[in-house]
Amino acid sequence: MNKTFISFVVFVVTMLVFHNVVFPIMNIKEFSWVMNPYVYYLLIPITLIFINITLRLKPPVSLIALMVWVLGFYFYKYVLYPPIPWTLFITYMVMWSIGTFLYVSQDANTFREFRSPIVKTIIGEYKIARIVLFALLPVLVGWMTYQSIYPTFQEPVELRTVHPAPPATTKVHGKTWVLETSRNPYRVDEQDNYKNSFPFLDADKNEYMKNVTEGGSLFFQNCHYCHGDQLNGIGMFSHVFNPTPANFIDPGTIAMLRESFIFWRVAKGGPGLPNESTPWSSAMPPWEEHLSTEEMWKIILFEYWYTGWHPRTFDTEESYVGQWEKEGKPGGAH
Amino acid sequence: MNKIVGLKISRILFAGLILMACSLPGTVFAQQAPDGVKKDLLEKGKLVYYKRCVWCHGVEGGGDGPSADRLFTRPRNFIQGTFKIRFTDSGELPLDADLIKTVTNGLPGSAMPAWGGFLPPAEIEAVVQFIKTLVQDRDFNDAEDEEVFVQEFGSNPWGTKEPYHLGVPQEDIDAGKAIFIKNKCFECHGGEGRGDGNPTMKDDWGFPIVAADWQQCWNFRGSRRNHFDPFNIVRTVSTGLNGTPMPNFKDQITVEDRWKLAAFVNSLCPRKKMDRLTNKPVPDFLISSLYTEGDIAEKIDDPMWAASDHDPKIVERGEATLTNPRKNYIAMAGQITRGKRNFDPKADNLWVASRWNAEKNVIYYLVEYHIRFLSSDPEFPDAVALQWPAKLQDLFGAEKPYFIMGDSKKPVDIWKASFLAQDYNATNAPKDDGYKLAVTLTESVGHGFDAVAAKESEPKVQVVDSIFKQGKVSILFKRELTTEGEFDVQIPSEQFIPVSFLQWAGRDKEKDEHMAISTWYYTILEPPLPDSLYYMPPIMAVVFIGLQGWLVWMTKRTRKMFEEGKAIRDFLPDKG
Repeated sequence: MNKTFISFVVFVVTMLVFHNVVFPIMNIKEFSWVMNPYVYYLLIPITLIFINITLRLKPPVSLIALMVWVLGFYFYKYVLYPPIPWTLFITYMVMWSIGTFLYVSQDANTFREFRSPIVKTIIGEYKIARIVLFALLPVLVGWMTYQSIYPTFQEPVELRTVHPAPPATTKVHGKTWVLETSRNPYRVDEQDNYKNSFPFLDADKNEYMKNVTEGGSLFFQNCHYCHGDQLNGIGMFSHVFNPTPANFIDPGTIAMLRESFIFWRVAKGGPGLPNESTPWSSAMPPWEEHLSTEEMWKIILFEYWYTGWHPRTFDTEESYVGQWEKEGKPGGAH
Repeated sequence: MNKIVGLKISRILFAGLILMACSLPGTVFAQQAPDGVKKDLLEKGKLVYYKRCVWCHGVEGGGDGPSADRLFTRPRNFIQGTFKIRFTDSGELPLDADLIKTVTNGLPGSAMPAWGGFLPPAEIEAVVQFIKTLVQDRDFNDAEDEEVFVQEFGSNPWGTKEPYHLGVPQEDIDAGKAIFIKNKCFECHGGEGRGDGNPTMKDDWGFPIVAADWQQCWNFRGSRRNHFDPFNIVRTVSTGLNGTPMPNFKDQITVEDRWKLAAFVNSLCPRKKMDRLTNKPVPDFLISSLYTEGDIAEKIDDPMWAASDHDPKIVERGEATLTNPRKNYIAMAGQITRGKRNFDPKADNLWVASRWNAEKNVIYYLVEYHIRFLSSDPEFPDAVALQWPAKLQDLFGAEKPYFIMGDSKKPVDIWKASFLAQDYNATNAPKDDGYKLAVTLTESVGHGFDAVAAKESEPKVQVVDSIFKQGKVSILFKRELTTEGEFDVQIPSEQFIPVSFLQWAGRDKEKDEHMAISTWYYTILEPPLPDSLYYMPPIMAVVFIGLQGWLVWMTKRTRKMFEEGKAIRDFLPDKG
């Protein structure tokens, strides 16, 4: 039998076996040094090279190029984790294709060898290949034209600023708060001293836990519907709203904001947002309509206590960063 | 004290029943002592409980935390040791594994989130041990009085696969339906399983409770984040739900038949792509209105409007409904932002389909939703509304009016259908042909949740057909695309138009801003298919054939030139 054909069959069979048998074994949820998709991937070319050498198949350059190209496609499509968006996939594949082409065209011998089956197909030395290819390609072109003309509609993508620039001052319940200098009146002690304290049980023992308990109770009467029982933005109503409610566990929300900013956002809610933050679809209530100033500050105190984050401060920025490094990622997020 | 004695007596009676059941031939139960409390985990468990759980379940586990009064379903009261989702027999304590699964996966459709992935497994195990100590009326360590019988569930006879568990033979589903009728499941779950059977049910603590809506399996408490798996239904039918009116059917229905019943229940739930974080279907954010030539049917039961709720990409449609518009899933929540807030909305979602006709200048929206019971009080009718930007032409970019009934600068146009069902009583037996609705349509302009006024101009929106059937409201709205009124939305084709939905449950005395609401969706009037779709592909194919011919000719010519020496081939380096 034709050695090229054997080599091709070896390639197809190897890919199928690896993808359907080896991949599910090696691609386990928690990667280890050996059991991970990248080691798995490296095994494919090693196996292919081994088989081709032992059987002395010496595949022609065009087949090698095909194998290299398919392996690249396979890597970006199935192996690379996490999966990449299709625009990035196309970019990578263009680079991979160029690389493959450079590999075959680097040397006049290999390039001619690479071209020869193509030329033979075109001029009709490979008769069946020419008939099949020349009949299929126009059908493919017609089909692609049909696909591109067929009207499809996808909802427009809307961009919004998640943390808009705050105003200098905000007026809540008749009092004007200067955001630059305002502090949480209930942050009377270092939060970390209360890490293992119990809400409710320790509420009588100290002022801090009393305020955390009150803030938490208010949170679970008002906020958890959207921001979730875990403060992770997945409450029982959160899937309904767009923009989705903020996830306080995420290092990109309350962890990097100042308490006065949070206070402004809580008090003024969705309608208090500037236009670039789509105030028309935010379900965040202007809480000043439902809660007192004291209650809002207590809820904020609770949110930091629960997640373990510290509010951003500018005067003691160093101590805050230090804290972060010492503990790693706080908040019980895993 | 009395209560405890009563419980003991009922338990003795129950044990007697179980003994009787055991003596029946062919029934095998695994009998064992309940899982005792692991004392070494209690300290850790207490820390977790008082940080994570206390807010709903309360300081003593009485289900009376600060949030409890605003939740429907209420948080579990641990004191009596009543747990719904178990592998053990009715009335018995759960296994540790049951409680761990509940904490890990949460209870969909309630406020209980899935703690798996948030808390490490060790913390979940610890908090489960602590919760067991909150049970006062019973004792997990009491091996004498507390026996548990782990039920037999058999295994999936069809070997259906996650996530959608499709492929159960129709005859087994039909057999399941016969079992459903024979065992009178409809008395609580309604004729088509929408949970609309019985409006008077109470749980063990006297709080109102409703039967599960089988057509929304993502809200099954026991779905274990695997909503379409019939196993969950087999388990519930075999063990009942402690503390609720749901009994077990282990003696009435054989295990094989329970699987068939489960297949039937399971077949009712629409297969939609699920969001793995929220465990709800992914909303269909774009409602495409289908271009329709000729008359559009003004009857809801017309084949023109027939379409299953399944995602057509997951479950292929039948030939008859292949070209019909799909039903779009619209997620709804309580309006908890402004004014009088609604913490316990009665509709979880709406399904919307649309058609339009350019020549007749009309558009139709079919809006459907599940609601178990309707109001009979003319002061509080049920209602559903479509909300549009009233001045679409003035909006710039992505700008929209405030989604809760507009704002002072950007008004909304609200088409609200209020209705009462005729000859309807919530306690009636299931009625196959449904109830006619007496609909009143009001068009209003909203400048804010507290500034909604009925329009003075002539009403232009019509409700051409409506019905309440087996727990489902269907309303067909019709309007001309362009109208005269100042605050009427003008509906252009081929443009993304914001639309949102409002819903009021009359039985819950909802009105004004006390309602259920969706966020802004988009609708688009799809244009007819362009003619170029039919002539461009062949043209491109022919052009490509020409190119191929040219390529062959060129290659052959080059070959010839090489042979005749008119051209020199590329230089090959010496191979040595």
